[in-house]
Order: sequence, then C-alpha cells, then structure tokens
Amino acid sequence: MKKILIIEDDNAIAEELAVLLGNSGYEALRITDFNKVQEQMKNSGADLILMDITLPGLNGETLVHEFRKSCDTPVIMLTSRTSEIDEVLCMSYGADDYITKPYNPTILLLRISAVLKRTAKVTQQRTYRDIEVSTVSGTLTKGRSSEVLTKNEMIIFQLLLDHQGEIVTRDDLMTALWDNDEFVNDNALSVNISRLRNKLSSLGADDAIETRKKQGYVLT
Amino acid sequence: MRLSDYLRDRAAAYVIGAVSWLMVVIFLNAFHAGIQAIIIVTVILLIALILSEALSFTKKRRFYNSLEASLEGLDKKYLIAEMLEEPDFKEGKILCDTIHETDKAMLEHINEYKSANEQFREFIEMWVHEVKLPVASLQLMCHNDGNSRYSSQLHRIDDYIENVLYYARSGSAEKDYVIRETSLKRVFADTAVRCREELQERGVSISTEGLDTRIMTDSKWLSYIFGQLISNSMKYFSPDREPEISVKAEVTPDMTVVRFRDNGIGIPESDLPYIFEKSFTGQNGRTHSKSTGMGLYIIKKLCGKLGHGITAESVQDSYTEIIITFGKNDLLKMS
Repeated sequence: MKKILIIEDDNAIAEELAVLLGNSGYEALRITDFNKVQEQMKNSGADLILMDITLPGLNGETLVHEFRKSCDTPVIMLTSRTSEIDEVLCMSYGADDYITKPYNPTILLLRISAVLKRTAKVTQQRTYRDIEVSTVSGTLTKGRSSEVLTKNEMIIFQLLLDHQGEIVTRDDLMTALWDNDEFVNDNALSVNISRLRNKLSSLGADDAIETRKKQGYVLT
Repeated sequence: MRLSDYLRDRAAAYVIGAVSWLMVVIFLNAFHAGIQAIIIVTVILLIALILSEALSFTKKRRFYNSLEASLEGLDKKYLIAEMLEEPDFKEGKILCDTIHETDKAMLEHINEYKSANEQFREFIEMWVHEVKLPVASLQLMCHNDGNSRYSSQLHRIDDYIENVLYYARSGSAEKDYVIRETSLKRVFADTAVRCREELQERGVSISTEGLDTRIMTDSKWLSYIFGQLISNSMKYFSPDREPEISVKAEVTPDMTVVRFRDNGIGIPESDLPYIFEKSFTGQNGRTHSKSTGMGLYIIKKLCGKLGHGITAESVQDSYTEIIITFGKNDLLKMS
C-alpha cells in the first residue's frame, strides 16, 4: 500500500483528505506538529507528499526547494493561491504537480496516481487475468490473440484496473475521460463500456466488469 | 497672450496716466512753461511708459505663452507643474507656487485613495484564499460521504468567489500574471472538467478542433475566461436545439485564433457593439436570465492586460462566437 504524507494545517481539510486517500486504497499519514517539518518529511517513508503552500511559520515553496536537495520523493502542492506565479515558482523548486483548492477530489486522485506512476522507478508490467495491458500501443494481449482499445476504452480500463475490486463511479470515469479531452456524454460512456466488455470477453475474460446499480462499475 | 489683451488689462493704469499727464500739462501751463517744455515732458513720459510696458509685456507673454503651449501639449494636464519655468515676476511666481502646492496636495489625496484601494484589493485576495479553505473541505466531505447533492451549489459558490478575485485583478495596476507557453488543450480540458457536471446536466455536447497547440498566455486567467464563456453560453441556450459548444483554434504565422462558439439564442445586432461594456445587459439580459453585465466586461479587461484580442460575432437565433487572438512572441517564452 502506498503511503501518502499530508502536510496541511487546516484540520478539516487534512482530515477529509486522509479519509479520501484511505477510501482510495492509500495509507494516509499526517503531520500535526509543524516544527521540523523537513525531518518529518524525510523520516516518514512516504511514497508521495501532499503539501499546502502556506503553513504556520513556513513557506511551502522554500520547503520544497530545501527538501529537493536531499530527497526525491514526489511532492504535490495544494494551494488556495490561484496565481500562475506561485505555480511557476513551485514547479521550478521541484514540486511534481500543483493543484488549487477547492479541488475536484476525483481529479486530485487522478493526479496522485499519475505522479506515482511517473515517478515509479520500475515501470510495472501490468496484467489482468493473464491479459497483458500495453498502454503505449493501446492493446490487450493474451497469448496470440489481441484486441486494440480506443483511447476512451483504454482510459476507462486503466481506471478500473487501478482500482480493481473497488467500485468506480460513472462520475469518476467521466472525470477521467474529460480530463483527457474526451468530452463524452452519458450515452457514449455506456457504449464505451459495453464495447470494452465485448473486447474483454473475446479474450476470455467474461463478466470482467460488473455493474453495481446506482453506484458504478467493478473490475473483478 | 496677445497685445490687445494686455492693453485691455492695463486700461485703468493708462487712464490714470493720461489724467496725470493732463494735470502736469495744466500745471506747467499755469507756470507759463512754454510749449517746448510741455512737449519734452510729454515725450519723456511717453518713452518711459512705452519702455516699461514693453518690458513687462514681453516677460509676461513669454511665461504665459509657454505655459499655455505646455498645457496644450500635455496628455496628463496635472503634470504641468513639472513643465513650469520659474518666472522672474511676482504674479508668475505666485501662480507657480499655487500650482505646485495644489499638485502636491492632490497627489497626496490620490495616494491615500490608491493605498486604500490597494489594501482593499489585498484584503479581497486574502479573503478569497481563506474562504476557499472551507469550500475545499466541504467539497471533500461531499465526496467522502458520497453525497453529491451539495457539490453543484459549492461549485456555484466557488465560481462567484472567482469572479470577485478576477474583478479585483482586472482593475489593479499590478502585474499579477505570468505569460508563458501554455497548452491550449490542457487549459480547456481543465476548465471543462470543472464545469462538467452542469454541462452534462444540460446535455451540452462539446467539440474541439485544433486545440493541440501552444499559446502564450497565463493559464489560470485563460481558464477563468473559458469558464466565464461556458457559463455565459449555458445561460443563453435555445430551447429549440440540442445545446452545443465548439472550440476551434487556427494557427496563422503570427497569431493563434481561438473561436468559442455556441448555438444559443445569439445576440441582437444592435446590442453586439456594447456587450463588453460594464454593466451592459442588453435585450437577452432582460428577457432571459439574471445578467449583471460584468462577465464579458471582466474578460475584456483581462484579455487587455494579457495582450489578447477579443471580439464577438453573432447571428440572432443561430449562434454566438467569441474570438480570442493570441499573439506570438518568442521573446516572452520561458522555459
């Protein structure tokens, strides 16, 4: 389980973030004492750090700058400051992403998993029930037979695979698609899912995607 | 200053001079001074008068003419104090001092307002950042509790907050934006995701073309601009058609033109020239929805600050198209 360290001085937000991350299969750690944050960051053993820009007595930008000199754990900055200048500064100081409050929780989770994937040292060969998943070529391969997925189908399949065994809502799928410039509507999403189902079952994975009424889909 | 003006101003002095001269003549006559003495005295007095008046006139003329000329040539009239040459006669000096003093007093007065204005803007910015914290936690709570009922209202609150922030920014003299190379596709997708729920509720279909290009802009400001355009379109969709929004980008050698088009009710031709003016609501604003006339005004000001051009085309009952042009300036590129 990936560990994510939350450095946020607003208690309500920090708590909700911890719940959100917990629900999404991450282990959330929190910093409550804002002395020696730098050391706590290094000793936490976290895989990713979510950091607020404005902390009591500290400046997130300089903190990242200092932290980067000795450590390369990915850092995502969270901020209510919506100015490009802040973003440019943060990124130049070594932050991996920058998200402004209030954030769409689904987007936040997508960004977290994108940063984790990008910074993972070994790119995992992803498989699902003996089916090899290649995101680069957009294909699913099992033995000699293979299926080509469209961009939309791949986005959907990846999100389901990232959360295998958990419910992924239509809303989450929609957000992920829109975030990738695919402005599809409800019908198109249903069509994409049924096509994806057909392609999976032709590779021998029948009933791979379960529908949970009024909740979403589960990849079993 | 013309000679006739000067002479008219001095008329009283000349009358007094003439009366004095007449009395001198009567006086000399009474002492039987003879016609020659009278002529000599008259000539001397006349020469003295002409010389002194000529001297005084040229002095004044030089000063006032240069004053008038400078005033004429100045774009900002209050800068006249900087252009004044210290004259060598008392009246002029008094005028100069008065101008300097009034100018100084006015500047102080303006500075008070400026700093009050600036403080207010800073307070608004700070307030916006503060109020976003509870909105952010509420949004997370909605998501965590699986309750999406409140999130659209939260989204509305966030939109209104952004309006305040960008209105404050659009009017400030400060440069609080960064122009850099930005992916047009990314900015539009970010904006669309933000507005996704409302767009889908309304069944709006979105099509894009040619957005895979890079432009010189501030992505946060542009995202706000797109957000405003989307929310404008949402207000004025026609009930007779399936709502559509299309965004197209065309790249020419020296600029990128982005066309944001909806198939809404359009804008009457008579209203079209005024839609970017402050508080203009027009026919649509009166008949269709609550309009404050601020959205497009703020957008226009933001575009002005960023150096983008913005125009609108529309055919009533057919479409509205907002066209934003982005210049290309390689000098502005940051890594």
